[in-house]
Parts: sequence; structure tokens; C-alpha cells
Amino acid sequence: MVEFKELSYEVVEVGETFMSDDFLIKPEDVATFAFAVDDYNPWYFEESPFGGKITHPVLLGNQALFMRHCKYMISAGLHAKIQFEFLEPTRPGMRVRSHGKVIDKYERRGRHYMVTQFETIEESTNTVLTRGQFTQMLFPKSGVHQDAKNS
Amino acid sequence: MQKTADAIQIGETLPITTKAISQRQIDCYSGVRPHSIHTDVEWAKKKGFAAPLAQALMSTAYISQIMVQFLGEGFVKGGKLSAAFIKPVLAGDVLTAHAVVTHKEIEGDQVRITVECWCQNQDGVKTMVGTASGLAKDLKISGTRK
Repeated sequence: MVEFKELSYEVVEVGETFMSDDFLIKPEDVATFAFAVDDYNPWYFEESPFGGKITHPVLLGNQALFMRHCKYMISAGLHAKIQFEFLEPTRPGMRVRSHGKVIDKYERRGRHYMVTQFETIEESTNTVLTRGQFTQMLFPKSGVHQDAKNS
Repeated sequence: MQKTADAIQIGETLPITTKAISQRQIDCYSGVRPHSIHTDVEWAKKKGFAAPLAQALMSTAYISQIMVQFLGEGFVKGGKLSAAFIKPVLAGDVLTAHAVVTHKEIEGDQVRITVECWCQNQDGVKTMVGTASGLAKDLKISGTRK
């Protein structure tokens, strides 16, 4: 049983680990992603040089981002930075899972950040498909920092 | 057909891609949830934004699109992307994604091509800056190594 806590700078600990749910990449996920980013490359729908269809390289970025939701309630936050390294093509039909670890948290100019390293793995072969890290700005309970708004 | 490394020039500007970002696209990208700054108008306003925010990762997808068109297989397998998100992107914004070749470096029997990349909105304000890279074949290297 998971006891979900509200994510905050005070609660999150460097070294703590995350694991996403497993996810079967379905054709409809590829189509939805293509619509969302308006990118209909035929490699995602017909044939690629890798043999068969592949998916958009960043399709699983959200799985890595949302693995924290398997442990915490996250009302809001802003992405500050991301790094991706694409090691193997991702394909529809793969069952994948992301694993992550908090490698840093820091305060800068009154804002709080957490840095999470991740790997996304194809479960049946344990092949690492993508790895990287993201830096997330954590909102204070009162709302967004004034200078992060554009309105 | 992607270019070989020999044919890629430092300073080369890659074709831009333009994206008019709708709320429906953000909904599809993020998944609709209550109390989300991406898909809940009232919640976004409560958090201080004039409209729901596009998810920052959407901008990395636009750069990825440019890189797949530019380097093909060498970005899908061996590509890297690093980005900083410096301004929010709102539903209704029109972003253009840009990339310019800055480095070429031999890596094994291929050449790593690095670009400086960024996205800017309809007002010319940069919203994301970063670098991306991938591998390109080099006819001279592949011709001399077994």
C-alpha cells in the first residue's frame, strides 16, 4: 500500500528512488502523441529504417516525469531543465517502465528545485531505451512564484 | 535521405518548424485532469497563469522532430537533447523551433553533429534554449575503417 504524501522541497530526499507503473505502448498512444505535437513522420506509422514502426523519441518523457506521482501528490510544478539520451528506438508493442532517483535538491533565488535521474527500460529484455535527468521547480503552497508568471 | 557528415556545415541553419498550440493538443499530451495547470483553466488561473500551460516537454518534441528530419537514425539511436525552459508557453501560443549546427566531432566511425536549438513564441520571446546532437555517417571515416 502506497501512502501518498504531498510533494514539497522539505519532504523530498536526495537518494530516494521512484518507479513508474509499467506501460504498454499502443498504436493509439503513438497517434495521440502525433496529434499532440503535430508530427506525423511515416516512421511512426508505416516503416522505419530500424525495421517496422518506431515511436517518437520523446514519447516516453512523460512516463519518466510522472513516476514521481507513484509516490507523491503533486499539485503543480514547472519544468526547468531536461536531458535525454536516446539509446535504442522505442516501438509500439513494447512494455516499458521508468526508474528514477533524486540526485539533488537546491534553492536558488528563493526557488526550490529537485533533480531526478531516470532510465526507461523495455521490460522483457531489460534494454535501456532512454536515460536522462530532469530538474523540476517546486511551487510553494501559495501558488507560483511571481516572476515565473507571464501574465 | 539524411546528409552525410561531410555535407553538413558548421553554421548551417536547419528548417524551422512552427506549431500553433491548441488546448486540445495540450490535453492529449498531458492527459486531462482536474487541478492541473495544463488542462484546468481555473486551476491555471489560480496558480497565476492567464491560460493553461503547454507542457514544457512538448518543446523538446518539436526539436526532436527537426533532428529526426536532419539526422534520421542517428538521432533516434545515439541522439542527445538538453534543454532549459525559460518562459512559460500558454495554450494559443505559436512557437517556432530553430536549430543551427555548431559542432562536428568524430565519435567511433561516425561524426557527432551538435546543434544549438531554441523555441520562441509569436512575440519573438525565447521560451526554451538548449543543444541537441546525433550521429551522422562520414564517407571518409567509413571508407578507411574496417
